[in-house]
Parts: sequence; structure tokens; C-alpha cells
Amino acid sequence: MSKMHQIMLKIGPAAFRIVSAWRRPLDQLTDLYKAYPAPTGETVDFTVRLEPEKPWRRFVRPSVHIGGDFWLPDAAPLPLEQGLLGAEMGMNLQMALGWRRHLLLHASSVEKDGKALVMTGQSGSGKSTLSAMLAERGWRFMGDEFALLSLDSGEIIPFPRLISLKNKAIEAMQDIASEERFGPEMKATPKGDIRHLVPPRDAIARMNKPARPALLLFPRFGHAPELRDMGQAEIFVRLTQASTNYVALGEAGFRSLTRFVDEVPVKAMDYQSIDQAEELIDGLWSELR
Amino acid sequence: MMRDARTLVRALREPSSVEALNNGQWTELISVARAESLIGSLAHRVKDVTVPDRVRAVLQDAVEAHDLARQQALWEADCARRALADYPGKILLMKGTAYVAANLEAGIGRSIGDLDIMVARKDMPVVEAALLDAGWEWVKPDPYDDQYYREHMHELPPLIHRERDRMIDVHHTILPLTARPTPDVKAILDAAVALDDGLYVMAPADMLIHSIAHLFADGDLSGGLRNLWDINLLIRYCSGADPEFWIKLGTRAEIHGLVSELERAVRLAERLYATPVCKSRAGKRRFSDCLYVRRLLARDGYGRETRKITRFAFYVRSHWLRMPPVMLARHLWTKWRKGGKSSDWTRHR
Amino acid sequence: MTQKYRAAEKDELIWHDLDSMTLLYHRPSGITHMLADPAPAILEVMGGVPLSAIEIAERLAAGFDLESNIDTENIVLARLEELSGLGLVSRVPT
Repeated sequence: MSKMHQIMLKIGPAAFRIVSAWRRPLDQLTDLYKAYPAPTGETVDFTVRLEPEKPWRRFVRPSVHIGGDFWLPDAAPLPLEQGLLGAEMGMNLQMALGWRRHLLLHASSVEKDGKALVMTGQSGSGKSTLSAMLAERGWRFMGDEFALLSLDSGEIIPFPRLISLKNKAIEAMQDIASEERFGPEMKATPKGDIRHLVPPRDAIARMNKPARPALLLFPRFGHAPELRDMGQAEIFVRLTQASTNYVALGEAGFRSLTRFVDEVPVKAMDYQSIDQAEELIDGLWSELR
Repeated sequence: MMRDARTLVRALREPSSVEALNNGQWTELISVARAESLIGSLAHRVKDVTVPDRVRAVLQDAVEAHDLARQQALWEADCARRALADYPGKILLMKGTAYVAANLEAGIGRSIGDLDIMVARKDMPVVEAALLDAGWEWVKPDPYDDQYYREHMHELPPLIHRERDRMIDVHHTILPLTARPTPDVKAILDAAVALDDGLYVMAPADMLIHSIAHLFADGDLSGGLRNLWDINLLIRYCSGADPEFWIKLGTRAEIHGLVSELERAVRLAERLYATPVCKSRAGKRRFSDCLYVRRLLARDGYGRETRKITRFAFYVRSHWLRMPPVMLARHLWTKWRKGGKSSDWTRHR
Repeated sequence: MTQKYRAAEKDELIWHDLDSMTLLYHRPSGITHMLADPAPAILEVMGGVPLSAIEIAERLAAGFDLESNIDTENIVLARLEELSGLGLVSRVPT
């Protein structure tokens, strides 16, 4: 069998082994995650595998099949230039299918004053970009893909992976963040143009500091600024849809999510710019007890 | 770097052997175990052994995930029971669901996929109708596959429940009708053991024969280590509970035409998992046992399938066993013309 | 109808009220149900005993303020059949 390369990564509570037939994606990951503690010589929670789609696609029009301990059939392969994206998607897949130590919400989260703001919604809601931008405006970044909800304490646990910026958000963040924090440009991926952004230093340094969730937002980009209340039934249903492991966690998942819905104030937020969003959020934040 | 799955086999056979593993080897062992659907069983085997902290968390996750699978499997069986409340015949649970419903050690930590049940062939239409009425639907509306399934396979085409999103496979025998050994289904139904809730499981000897049939005569040995582990646990449990078990097992194997398969399963279980066996049931050692072992262990420390040539040989053989050559040619030709990928029935584990 | 039904045991159910609906976690199945009135009330008044639709309707009338012109028995029967399909209630063989 052909030779494989491997590296290890640790982000928040989860550790990964990334195995790849090609060195390049691993070199890119190593560079972008250089400020994170390296778990060399330790054990991991998951292995991600980047392999040629077919043996001859290792060298000829190299095509990356994303696999690992947990996998999906019929996963679409990526060209090698997007191997870094493949590794990040592979880690998402392991978490989504295999993580049980917290309730997983498809949400971004940022922290201020020891309290967490959680933002959830479908693709295009802007939750990822909002978290990246708020992280440059005095908030601590906790994660853009998954919010981890502790089953015991109800706290949000940081899981700050590389921030995945899409399309227009790339340019917007390039104006704010220094170039060395960015990964390679990847055009025309299945999710559009993508560039990864390394989270700010303090996000990495305080990766082990949880925060109590104080506000849940359902952001919606591209509409006149407005805040709306939501019914609990709708909130609960949308959160179960946003959770990959609610069912797998059984009773603990039920108790954890019902407590979250009981205790955390919720608003739907429409906005057209980061300034508008920040103003609405600051208003809500100052009213919190 | 582990070149094959023997570390996993040893860990299952002698749990204390894992104390010698370093962290890198643990990471590999976990990948191998997950790839072979044996992580739940591994977790149970090493529960009293010292392992690194993160490994303990990973194994605990596996235990909990399998507990959930068990709960869901039992519920699904109960839903089928209620849907078939008016059906007077026996409904036999099979495979993983049967092991957990009967509280067997073979059910502990076992991953369970779809619900498999067996009913008398003549009752398939009425059972099918009752399931459709209770919310199950066909998965694939392809007329060729449908015809093939009904005429030649040992089950209805796959059904999925529209709300619970869980699949049920309804069998009327334990091997495809086109396969060469033809088991005595009436004997299986007659000997079936009733559970408290009115569902049935096979008698111990038949349960073991079914697992053996599945390992050798119905697949290309992928998932073979897991299947053989089931066989190991079933043999230990059944022979411990009944001093006449080996005699009954031999008799049943003859009735079902699976004597050489039984012998090979016994040899492989003893060789890999140190299963205590009755020598007279092991038959003579064959050279091909080595090829089987090679195929069963074909997994590396990254979790990849290895040994492509051996694997391919077994794949071709498994098709050969299921269908006579003329039918095989026609089936594969039709599949190729439709541009289909590997057919659905190879997914069954 | 004289068909009797029995609700799931109390210790198999975990209830949680939301503003407009009621959540019910069913332990044996691991399924979370979201129920609208009167289904939660029906399950509550059934206690642990087998009851027919009309008996349940009477218990509901005794415990709750119901509108007088609704056909409680048929509404209860329809809900019981749905709950039976979900496995929260079982039909008791006569």
C-alpha cells in the first residue's frame, strides 16, 4: 500500500489525526494551526483520511476523497488544491457523526464578559462572518461551525477551528485582518469561493475557557435591521434541526436542549451590515441581567 | 504502523494485551476497530484494563453509542410487532437485534443496522401489506431490482419507515434462493424460541448456523472480523449453556447443508479468537484457511482496506455463491448497462 | 367503540412545557414528540389503566373546561389512533 503522511491537531476538547496521501494539505494545516498546542505523542479522538479517489488519481489530476473513522457514502471528491478544505470538512464530519461529549449545535459563538453569544441559522445567514467580525471588535471568538453545549453545566465550550469565509466575506475580512492569518484562496469549491482565517491569538490562548450562553440569535443577512421574538416551539424545532447529535444523546440531549431553550433569551435578527448587527447586539447585550 | 488487524484481534482475545500499546498504536487500534465495526465490543472487553484518558473517553463514547443503537433496535422490533399484531405466524428476529432481544453477550457493544425479521415465505404478501399499512415505504422503485429481489433473493426489497426513517428487511430464508446450500427454513421456524413479547428468535444452534451462513455464503467477508466475533461469542455462550450443544450443532449443520462452512468457522474462530471448540466439529485444516485469515485481517493502521487482490477474489466468489453463472452474467450485464454502482445487496452485513 | 387503550408508563415519559406545545421524551424509543392539545391531557388522564375513548372523554370533561358542542369522543378516538401509531399508547386486546 502506498505511503501516507500524518499530522495531529488539537482544538478545544477534540484531537484529530489527519492522514493524507499528499503532503501539501498537511503542510498548509500545520502552518495555519501553528499557534495551537500540538498533541504530538498523544492519543486522538478521530482520524481523518484524505486519499486518492481512485489509485491513479494520486498523481494524475489528483482528486481527494474525504474519509476517516466516520464517513459518508457517495462523498464528492475535491481537487488537490482544495485539500485543506477537505481536511476541515473531514474534521467536521467526524464531529458531526461521532462527537457525544457535548450537544453539538450548528452555530457560531463569541464571548464577552464571561458570557457567550450563540448564532445559528442556515448557510447564508452570516453566522460565520458575524463571529469573525465580532472577534475583531472586542469579542472573543469561540467557534464558527459548531457550538458545543455542555450536558452538565449548560456552558458553551470553545471549539475555535479555522474560520471558513465564503465569497464576499473574504474581501470584507481581508480589509480587517492581516494577510498572514489567511489560508490559500480556493475558488469554485462546492460551497463557493473559500478562504480560511486563523482565529485571533486570544481565541487560541483561551481555548479552554467556557462561557455561559446568555443570548441566542437567528441572524438573517440582507434584510432591513430588525429584532423579532420567536415562539419556543419554533426555537426548539430549529435547534434540533441545527444539531447533528441531539437524537444520539437521548435523554441527556433532551434535558440539555430544553434547559437551553428555557434559560437563554432568543431573538431573530435581520441586518444588512456588520455595523447594524453590532448595534442591535450591543443593545440586547446591555439589557441582559 | 499496523499493517493488518491482528492487534485488534489480540485485544479482543486478550484484553490485557492493550496495556503494552503506546499512544500512536492506540490511535491506530481505534481506527481499525471503527473500520471493522468492533469498537463497541473492544470497549466492553477492555473496560477493566488501564488505558490512556482520552482513549477511555473514546471507548465510553462507543459504549454509549451502542447502547443507543440497542435501544433503537428494540424499539424498532416492537414497532414491527405492533404493526403485525394481526399476523398469526411466527416473526423471527435475526442478527444483532436478535442478540440484544435475547440478552446474549453477542449483543453487547454490537453495532446494529437495519431490523431483520424472518417469516414464512407464503406469508410474505400479507406481512408486506401490513407493514406498508403501518407507515413503511419502498426504498427503491426500480422494476428490475424489484423483480430480482422477489424471485431470487431471500428477502423483500428494502422498506423504510416514513417517519422514523429506519429500514426493515423481511426475509423468508437465511440465504438467497439462488445460492447453493439450501437451508431448511421450516426446521428453523419450528425450532424458534419465543421471547416474552411474542416475537421469536432462532434456536441457539440455528442462530449460530445463520451467522456462519452469513459470513461465508452471503458476502465477500467485509465485516468478517465482526461476524466471526459474533460466532465466537455465540459458541461460548451456547456450549456453556448446553452440554449437548455440539451434537445439536452438527445435526443442524447437516440439515441446512452447511457442514463445511461450520467446520471452517470453528477453525477460524479458534485460530483468531481462541474459541474453545469441539475438535470433531472443526474438520481438517485447509490451506485456504490462510487465505481467509489474510482476507479477514486486511485493514491497516490508518483504517484503510488492504490486500486488494485477496479482497477481489473473495468478492467474485461471493457473487458466484449467490447466483449460478448464467444468472450472474445476466445480472451484472444489466447492472453495467444501467451504469449502476455495486448493487445494494452487497451492503448487507 | 369499546376498544380500550393503555398509555405508556409514567416513568417512560419526560414532559416539558413550551409556550404553545408540549414536548414529550419517550424513553423506550428515544424519540422526542411535540404534542398539541389535547394529546398531553389525554395521556395525563389515562393514568395506568386501560380505558376506552368514551371513558377518556368523560375524564377530560371532569378535569377540563371543554366546549359543549364538540364531539369529544371522536376527537379523543382520532388522537388515540395517532398516539397508538407513535407507540405512546397501545391497544389493549379484548
